[in-house]
Amino acid sequence: MAGVTSTLPPPVPLPARGRGFGARVEAQTVFCSVVLAVVAFGVLFPLLLVVLESFQVAPPGQPAAYGLDGWRAALSEPGLRAALSNTLKVTFVRQLLSLPLAVLIAWLLARTDLPGRGWLEFAFWAAFFLPTLTVTLSWILLLDPEYGLVNTWLARIFGKGPFDVYSFWGIVWVHVVTGSLTVKVILLTPAFRNMNAAFEEASYVAGGTTLGTALRITVPVMAPVILSVLLLGTMVSLQTFEVEQVLGLPFRFFVFSTMVYDLLVTRVPRYDAATALAVLILLAMLPLVFVQQWATRRRRYTTVTGQFRNQPLRLGRWRWPALALLLATALVVLGIPVAFALLGTFMKLFGFFHIPDPWTLANWTNVLADDLFLRSLRNTVVLAVCTALAALLVHSLIAYIVVRTRYAGRRVLDTISWLPFTVPGIILGLALLWLFLGVGVLRPLYGTMAVLVIAGLISGMPLGVQIIKSGLLQLGSELEEASRIVGASWWTTYRRIVLRLMAPTLMAVGMITFVGAARNIGNIALLATSANRPLSILQLDLIAQRKFEEAVVVACIIMFISLAGALVARFLGLRGSVG
Amino acid sequence: MGPALIVLRLDGVSKLFGPVPAVEGVSLEIARGEIFTLLGPSGCGKTTTLRLVAGLEQPDAGEIVLRDRIVASVPRRTFVPPHRRNLGMVFQSYAIWPHMTVFENVAYPLELRGVRRATVRERVATVLGLVGLAGLETRPATLLSGGQMQRLALCRALVYEPDLLLLDEPFSNLDAKLREQMRVELKLLQRRLGVTVLFVTHDQVEALSLSDRVAVMQGGRVEQVGPPRELYERPASAFVRDFLGQTVILRGVVKEAAGETVAVAMDGALAGATLRGCPSPGAALAAGAAVQVAIRPEDIEVALAGETEGNALAGTIEALLFVGDRYEARVALEAPQRTSRSAPALPGRDEPEGGMGGPWPGPPCRSDQRVLLLLSRGGVWREGQRVRLGLPAHLVSVWPA
Repeated sequence: MAGVTSTLPPPVPLPARGRGFGARVEAQTVFCSVVLAVVAFGVLFPLLLVVLESFQVAPPGQPAAYGLDGWRAALSEPGLRAALSNTLKVTFVRQLLSLPLAVLIAWLLARTDLPGRGWLEFAFWAAFFLPTLTVTLSWILLLDPEYGLVNTWLARIFGKGPFDVYSFWGIVWVHVVTGSLTVKVILLTPAFRNMNAAFEEASYVAGGTTLGTALRITVPVMAPVILSVLLLGTMVSLQTFEVEQVLGLPFRFFVFSTMVYDLLVTRVPRYDAATALAVLILLAMLPLVFVQQWATRRRRYTTVTGQFRNQPLRLGRWRWPALALLLATALVVLGIPVAFALLGTFMKLFGFFHIPDPWTLANWTNVLADDLFLRSLRNTVVLAVCTALAALLVHSLIAYIVVRTRYAGRRVLDTISWLPFTVPGIILGLALLWLFLGVGVLRPLYGTMAVLVIAGLISGMPLGVQIIKSGLLQLGSELEEASRIVGASWWTTYRRIVLRLMAPTLMAVGMITFVGAARNIGNIALLATSANRPLSILQLDLIAQRKFEEAVVVACIIMFISLAGALVARFLGLRGSVG
Repeated sequence: MGPALIVLRLDGVSKLFGPVPAVEGVSLEIARGEIFTLLGPSGCGKTTTLRLVAGLEQPDAGEIVLRDRIVASVPRRTFVPPHRRNLGMVFQSYAIWPHMTVFENVAYPLELRGVRRATVRERVATVLGLVGLAGLETRPATLLSGGQMQRLALCRALVYEPDLLLLDEPFSNLDAKLREQMRVELKLLQRRLGVTVLFVTHDQVEALSLSDRVAVMQGGRVEQVGPPRELYERPASAFVRDFLGQTVILRGVVKEAAGETVAVAMDGALAGATLRGCPSPGAALAAGAAVQVAIRPEDIEVALAGETEGNALAGTIEALLFVGDRYEARVALEAPQRTSRSAPALPGRDEPEGGMGGPWPGPPCRSDQRVLLLLSRGGVWREGQRVRLGLPAHLVSVWPA
């Protein structure tokens, strides 16, 4: 009965600090509104400028004149029309090929007793972080129509190498083995893992076989998630531009992003046509956005888990064939690109394996001693670190307002923070270019690192905010409320409770933003100048100058940075369960 | 019961999770038409046992026989997968497939069995009618309420007339009112269809009220099997006794053990009192052995203080709580002879762990034995009142301490 007789310490008075409840609520609203205004200005205003610019037909340097020439060109010129139809074709074929394979792989990784599935999942995670351009260079080594290793080997049998990386199917292939497959696998695997196993078990007990249950229960139950991932994948596939830029240009194959870039970097830039094309793509994205949001909302029921941990399905005699399939896939998406990118850095002539004594260390020594490289490396480090730090502050602030406050505009803020995901990188770059050139007070920033940091901040916003949001939601508000109740101020609570508990998540977000900024191309291709050029753009420029030997060295350095960042983020516990 | 009536037999079944045995040497027989319940605290292995029967887990030892068919046997190395066992199962989360309508959910197992479409429609309608879901066939399953989902899950499990219906805590996600209602409905339905049920729950009221027989499990083992009333009144172990309902436990030492009952000299605040009770099953209680005296609180006969002859204790009502249909009373127990009451200890003194001193008063009585009793609404009770507690010897059990 100690409970009855025990004594309480005398009350410790709270330090009296007077500020009325009303005043604090108002201050919070003002603060949230400022954040909303800044984010909206950074995301929406540039896009508005793009729309306006599409009607501005006067060449640069001349007084503005408005008309529909740009739109006419975008809708009628065969080159632009071809770019649009190429975009749709590439996107469609990519998704068609990668989705079924990704669903199969995610199912095997998440719901069966496949040996080594933890390692395989990690391989896909690492592959997702491989810079696209690095992978592209590797596949050039293998599939170049004349010198590619695979082609030269097969030429001994067939007389002529059957593959050509500089083709529609070459572009599709590189896309499938880079982003398309890996992003789907790393998004679908956790979703499949979180699915309530009772859905499947109920089917087994009711008389369903393994295959029948997978097809009639598992996949349909997961359909909203799969649809959501498909749409995310489609949007991501509209983001990239470097694959088409490198592989498409030699045979004059344009998609909309490379066409926009082409229109802008030619001697007489066609801003009106480029922006009109960009607006067309944005309009085409809108339905995808709505369907994706709808599908995301519908997926909620799939993650209702019982307290029972999921029992992996026994694959039986299918174990080893399934393992072989996944090992082969992992080899194609991770092993081959890494190995051949490294191999390429030691070649005297990139891709020429058959010349006598093809190996050299000169590429590394040349690049590492090059002043241009060192400046770009410094730019990349500054860019990545600044972007990551800025992202931590801004993204966590947005996430916190959206999740924790009752601020009236939090839904709008949430949507705006997600919007950059749907805006192809090249368009976002274009929009920001207009922001910095068109708004007087911002013009001095053009050519500085700040421009690139802002671009990285905005392009990293959707992912960063989503991850921090889900972390905050898991945290539960009771822990914070308990701190407030015992007398801690909001700021003390944020510092001593929220930040401490969220530290691993925030570090992971910082790491992802760091990696994203280091390898970012599409967003900043139009913004980088010789003064603030980072490694990723240097690499693109080197390829444009056909200096593949040096480009691949730079590509490998970016790859090391990316993979190191991926490892750290993984170590910090991020499992890619976003989207 | 004859062998032909046995629907399910478990013979020395064990299941390990890593090195930890979740189920250890469980042997059970379930007869046709009965509701058999596995009852125990969480982690006792009851759900694992159910999943072993369903075929969702493979046993590490033992044999499971469904009707006359061995569905899992470690010595014979046979394992029949769940979809060939012809069982019905209601999951704790119901596992209603969200991409199907009510009709499609129920029709799915029939389609798998190749039933003709017209027959499917007829049988689905019949079984939905049984639980009052008729007319909801075309509704998406996600739009059902919790109670409706539960009924739908039951329909889906019953529509193909399985040999055995497995229920995995089916009521745990319902609110208290609905739970009571579904309990009655389930029992009525089972009596009507005659289906054999294996039911898993941690709720003793659910187990006692629904079951024909109950197996109480603890630490992966079966502690006792029997009809609910037998378990409640003649528990074979302290665990079963305490898990099923409330028990008042008092300490003492055996004074004399002779004949049907033992006399126990009570300890502590009750020193001087002697209580008689029946020895617990299998317990050898010699004089001088430390024992527990146990009785269900509802078996204690509470009367206004008077003569304290016989098997009785005295007590003081410390707190009286009117809860509507009755009173709940916290009663401090004393030996019946003791009448003088010493002054309560001063608060804040002699407190080993206290130190700060505070506003909390000490207990009004020095007794260290308190019980929570249910008193009838008809009595005239008040706080501070002295009462006589009669403990009928045939309802008191004596356990080795």
